[in-house]
Amino acid sequence: MLKVAQPDRPDALTWVFLGLGLLLLPVGLYLALSAPPDVNQGYLARIMYLHVPGAWLGYLAFFVTFLYSLLYLFRQDPRHDRVALASAEIGLVFMGLALVTGMLWARPTWGVYWTWEPRLTTTAILFAVYVGYFLLRGAIEDPELRRKAAAAVGILGFINVPISYMSVKWWRSLHQTQSIDLTTGKIHMDPAMLQALLFNLFVFTLLYLGFVRFRSLLAALEARKEEA
Amino acid sequence: MKLPVEGWPEAAGQGRVGVVRRVVLLALRDLRLEVRDRAGLLSILAFFAVMLFIMALALGPEEEPLRRAAPGVLWVALAFGSTLLSTRAFALEVEEGTLDDLLLAPGGKEWIYFGKLLFQMLLLLPLAALALLMAAGLFYLPLERLFLLFLTLVLGVLGYASVATFYAGLLARLRGREVLLPLLLFSLVVPVVLASVRATTGLAEGLPVAEISDWWQLLLVFDVVYLTASALLFPVVMEG
Repeated sequence: MLKVAQPDRPDALTWVFLGLGLLLLPVGLYLALSAPPDVNQGYLARIMYLHVPGAWLGYLAFFVTFLYSLLYLFRQDPRHDRVALASAEIGLVFMGLALVTGMLWARPTWGVYWTWEPRLTTTAILFAVYVGYFLLRGAIEDPELRRKAAAAVGILGFINVPISYMSVKWWRSLHQTQSIDLTTGKIHMDPAMLQALLFNLFVFTLLYLGFVRFRSLLAALEARKEEA
Repeated sequence: MKLPVEGWPEAAGQGRVGVVRRVVLLALRDLRLEVRDRAGLLSILAFFAVMLFIMALALGPEEEPLRRAAPGVLWVALAFGSTLLSTRAFALEVEEGTLDDLLLAPGGKEWIYFGKLLFQMLLLLPLAALALLMAAGLFYLPLERLFLLFLTLVLGVLGYASVATFYAGLLARLRGREVLLPLLLFSLVVPVVLASVRATTGLAEGLPVAEISDWWQLLLVFDVVYLTASALLFPVVMEG
């Protein structure tokens, strides 16, 4: 069978990612809700099973945007730009989820929904940068200039990701430090909680992969329509 | 009208000296045009004056709230004011059709970026110093540590100008760039403005230097990253 250069429908892998992700989402929720309560925070800590994967996938998505923006600038292939766009959009959704769950957690813990401490501030800035990314994309008509300008934001904006991640260590911040520290590899967490967290992380990653593939395809279809 | 520039370094083979001369020549030429034109400079000065005056009226007249607000007001004024000038780095080149001439010059293209950046810095720094004096007058901002305040100004303005120059070049040929550029710049330079405000606040409150140096380090990191990334990306995005 001949392979079509630009398929009209999502391929099998996309459906596998999406299907498996959606199927396992209730399992992840079950694990999260049956995980033992935290010593200090009690049942409130369970919001972490949404909050942490959301934030991580947000970071990961922006990293993918960064990579594909670089690729686009050096290869000038519109496909790379479409992946960057898709990843930024999904990243914004996950980051939004992390922000909202964080606020819901902060209200009973700190007494306020929002406070201007370093982690929250840097995350809000990160969010604003990628909102700007889409404002920019919407504002430029010429497709090539739009892709170039967006790629530049995708690259320059990424610097905020490591700063946001490290902010809880660099400044003595109100936000608690990482329970799974990627820079030192230390884990400060009960195995039962860790299992639930990692499972949710896995589910979110599946969903992310599925969404990005799906969104890139949509972008490709849009681009084809624009050209025609 | 194209200004004749004496001793324009010819080829790429001249090495580092040639490139530095090119950068300086480009910056000085732009500065000369800007100073002759006056309209941009006068408008930004008027903007600073009006903005600081209105903020002082809105927040005053007690001394304490004014003093507390001073660093924030100063940097907001600088951030907004600089956007008025950011498009000017490439506006004249496009109007006169000389941008292509610049891009066609043999050798790399980074020097154009650095020349324009130097121009922006030479333009913005005196203006920023003036704004600092105005803020000191209207908002009781203490000027005892003038040198450190100026260091903060340099670091902050450099972080801002490095991104602004890059995007001004990228969007030079785009219609409606005056609206788009500030929108885009603000989200990228928020960390720079934030760190500058914190450093200035620390200086105004008389904190020891050790406590403020964190913010300078952050500013420096942003400056270096933005500057390097912009200089590397500039030739890539200006091609074609």
